[in-house]
Amino acid sequence: MMKTLTTAMKASISEVLETMFFLPIEFGDQKTHTQTKMDKEKANMACQLKFSGDFNGRFLLVTPKDLLIEVAENFLGESRDTLEDEHLVGTLTEMLNMICGNALSKLDSKVPFELDIPEVISESDIPGSQPFIIIKTTQSNMAITVIIE
Amino acid sequence: MSYSILIVDDSFPMRSVIKKTFRSAGYASAQFLEAADGKQALERMKNDWIDLVVTDYNMPVMNGLDLVKAIQTLDLLKNIPIIVVSTEGNETKIKEFMDAGARGYITKPFTPENIRDLVTDILGEVDYDEDIDDSDEGFDF
Repeated sequence: MMKTLTTAMKASISEVLETMFFLPIEFGDQKTHTQTKMDKEKANMACQLKFSGDFNGRFLLVTPKDLLIEVAENFLGESRDTLEDEHLVGTLTEMLNMICGNALSKLDSKVPFELDIPEVISESDIPGSQPFIIIKTTQSNMAITVIIE
Repeated sequence: MSYSILIVDDSFPMRSVIKKTFRSAGYASAQFLEAADGKQALERMKNDWIDLVVTDYNMPVMNGLDLVKAIQTLDLLKNIPIIVVSTEGNETKIKEFMDAGARGYITKPFTPENIRDLVTDILGEVDYDEDIDDSDEGFDF
């Protein structure tokens, strides 16, 4: 199950980030949030999206704030001087929403998955031992994972 | 011809991106109205002239499917075409929307071409002489 889901997630991440956010990416080795040292290096923003269906769970996305600003510039076509927190939060949650919806739609599910509304979470709510897919960009890395409950 | 297009999405950045995508797809002179959920959309539709509704599915207060169903119960509004733009690409969900009265369904991520092809089917060809996007908003697919 996790292997299938991870494959679907990677395909969706590439599709979404390149089509809607104009962000070329590569994937790094999976690491826990603690191993990424993202929490030690830069200010980050994180959000989660719960889903239910054939199985239930939640997706988590963590990104450095300075990378998110660049992504928001690409997504919204606005200069960074005009971006406010509302733009950054909206970009972050929409990015996860698209990845999650796209990935789950690639699965052969018996019933349609239902997605909750994405919500911003504190970095302290990120489980340190959970393995994350590392998304490498030219500037820095994002991290995404799914937790099956 | 300039259209009046209602964009319904709880994400303010997403509404902005959809507007810019429409402009990029040739609908530069359209008038765009916005609503953050289905309930707000119904209020706007009762008070403003709307040629096309573009709605998300997953929203608080009233989701996109309930909005489509509600519009179909209102004689004055039920002929206004509705397009769904959603992350959810499950065929069962798409069929549910189409059966409820939606005229088209686009899954995210999307391109201006996806929008233009579908909207052209519904509203007809864009008059490019009138609708060339000469805005300077820096948005470029």
